[in-house]
Amino acid sequence: MRNPFLDFRSLPYEKKEIPLDRIVRAKQEIMDSILEGYLHLVEEEVKDLVWLVEHSHVVRTYSAAVNRIRELHYDQDDIEEFCAELDSAKKIPYMISGPAGIYLSALINHAPEDRIVLRPKDFDRTFHFMGYRLPESKTLILQGNVGDFVGAGLSGGSLVVEGSVGNWCGAGMMNGEILVTGYAGQKTGEWMRGGEIHVDGSIGSLGRSRFGGKIYQRGKLVIPQELDDQY
Amino acid sequence: MTKLDDILLEIWPRVKRKHLFPELPDPVGAEGEERVGLDIKGKRISISREFVAEMSQAIEQGDVVEGLLDHAISHYLCCPWDFSTHLKLYAEAKEILRDKEMAQRATDYFMDVVADTHCVSQKETPLPQIYRNFKGGIVDEAIHALYQRIWGIDLGATGHEDISRKLSRLPYLDRTRWRESMRRFAKVIKALFEIEEKQGGSGEPSPMGDHGLEQYSPQEIEQGLKELALDAATPSEFRDIVRDFEDEILEASQSRDQGMGLGPGRSLDADLLYYMKLAENYLLPIRRMPTEKSGSLYPHQHIPWEVGKPYQDIDPWTSFGKIMPGITQTWRRREGEIFGREEGIPDCIVIIDSSGSMTDPRQRLSYAVLGAACACDAYLRNEAEVAVYNFSDARSGGQKVLPYSRYRKQIYRTICHYFGGGTRLLVENIEALQTEKAPDIFLITDMQITNLEVLVEYFNTCKNRVTAVHIGDNKHVETFRHSVAMRKNIEIYGVAKKEDIPRIVLGKVQDYLYKKVGP
Repeated sequence: MRNPFLDFRSLPYEKKEIPLDRIVRAKQEIMDSILEGYLHLVEEEVKDLVWLVEHSHVVRTYSAAVNRIRELHYDQDDIEEFCAELDSAKKIPYMISGPAGIYLSALINHAPEDRIVLRPKDFDRTFHFMGYRLPESKTLILQGNVGDFVGAGLSGGSLVVEGSVGNWCGAGMMNGEILVTGYAGQKTGEWMRGGEIHVDGSIGSLGRSRFGGKIYQRGKLVIPQELDDQY
Repeated sequence: MTKLDDILLEIWPRVKRKHLFPELPDPVGAEGEERVGLDIKGKRISISREFVAEMSQAIEQGDVVEGLLDHAISHYLCCPWDFSTHLKLYAEAKEILRDKEMAQRATDYFMDVVADTHCVSQKETPLPQIYRNFKGGIVDEAIHALYQRIWGIDLGATGHEDISRKLSRLPYLDRTRWRESMRRFAKVIKALFEIEEKQGGSGEPSPMGDHGLEQYSPQEIEQGLKELALDAATPSEFRDIVRDFEDEILEASQSRDQGMGLGPGRSLDADLLYYMKLAENYLLPIRRMPTEKSGSLYPHQHIPWEVGKPYQDIDPWTSFGKIMPGITQTWRRREGEIFGREEGIPDCIVIIDSSGSMTDPRQRLSYAVLGAACACDAYLRNEAEVAVYNFSDARSGGQKVLPYSRYRKQIYRTICHYFGGGTRLLVENIEALQTEKAPDIFLITDMQITNLEVLVEYFNTCKNRVTAVHIGDNKHVETFRHSVAMRKNIEIYGVAKKEDIPRIVLGKVQDYLYKKVGP
């Protein structure tokens, strides 16, 4: 009996490799490395699934995060995608907001681009510690509301938040500039040592311990003037 | 015959062979627009003569037609593949873009990218030539830049570096990640839609046409809705998507006699449709029962035949084939009700509790409504009729009674009605639904009924086959179990999760098969 499928032998079928295959494969490798780095960081730093916000703890986590990403070659798109992964939490068994924000900040601070734009408004999760230790010559633009400790320890970078920020904005910042187009929460500028914070909306309260720097509200300097009582 | 028809006749067999003979009707040439090349309705591909004429100034007519056919077939063979996938992709886009028109456009573009990329990666196709020579709006420009990047073919696209770079990272050919890719695609393309809107228009139409629901058959729409209902976490999730396609779904439902069971000329109640379609995923079995009854004389016992007695009642099997007094046996007949060998499905009374302790079916998935919907669906499929008694605080008017009906929408509307009050039923209203044929009773409740003892007493006296389903477990369930433990015509099932529902067997009685049930 004649094999009826023989007719199909003459059909030209060849799976061509198109650039998309290469792009997706390369991107996947980078994303896997970034995710692996984050998961290791969480394993090391969050032993009991509890992560306390203490200065020493934050510093140690940041150093560990920097060590994790040192060998990675990524760009702004990878950071954006990592945010999406954190948001969807499909590949991440536990998303702990503190270390996640610090890891993101480490990625941003060591990215090849000088100007990075992220859109937190596209995500359901609130990201904390965004712009932590943002270095000089880097500009981070965040489109949407963000959480607590935004711009903490800012080290000369320029952070623009097109939205509102939570509590402890600019906590312990050394230098640089934070611009917030929305409102800022409690203890804004706590332990601030230098730099400027500009808030276009209302400020919940100002930090009581400050060692330098300036805070402006709607273009008017509120710190270092003795106007703390009104907050 | 015009030239386009000649070209189609020549090219179609070749294109079909190239795509391994998809089951599609022959394409036709049609009057269309210069800017839109394709239209697909009910699987038939129509190619715009004007578009082909316009494009043929730059490309061979045969190549234009082949490219358009490749595109259309790739939609059929790869993406969206079916109505359910189309709706799921739309749902993802809608969640990001929050606008029906934008979500539809984003879904169309995404499906085009997937289908075209699939085609370019697997076949020799003139599709890139069409894109190279088509000048569209800002979104088309960005999509062309994307194609250029991911296909590695020069399409003459410039600009949109940022957008095409972001879009090029999505795994378009990985079907398992389409939903996630759709979300990211919508997020990126949203910026372009916003620019278009600022420029005061919804932009140029896609050269490959819109992908409306008219390309699907009513059967595909029905199947797609079933899958969507199963996939939706809450009724509202289903409602949000279905409402956007209300007209198309109603049209599909009216084009068939029995289709969706919605009936013609009515507005679409997405919540009813959700439970209808979800119920169709769980086909509950119903035990058949003897239904042929007779009040006439029936053969009761054998007696010896005597000369002079009629012949018609002689039983040849016990008479050894002989007519002989003393040997021949005849039947003695007796008057009374008998069950014949004819089996069937009786009608059913569905009793559903919609008191405050039950879930509101319009807010969250109600297992009670789903269970009742499954039972109704099972009886209606078997040509039986269904009566519904929906109760909460029946004494103060919190009850709805639907007499026997086969009209699905009416039945589902009654079971989906939510009172949210106290829990007391009036047995006389159930009794009023009883008929001579002893309908089955399907009860679904959490058993926290104030006058449960009245219901138990009623069940202890009735002869109907009762399927009692309790949602969750509590002390009242135990009370009910103990009270009816001796009854052989009552079967009790517990439902704690959706997966428990298929375990229910309707009309299952412990001692069944030609035995009269009851005390």
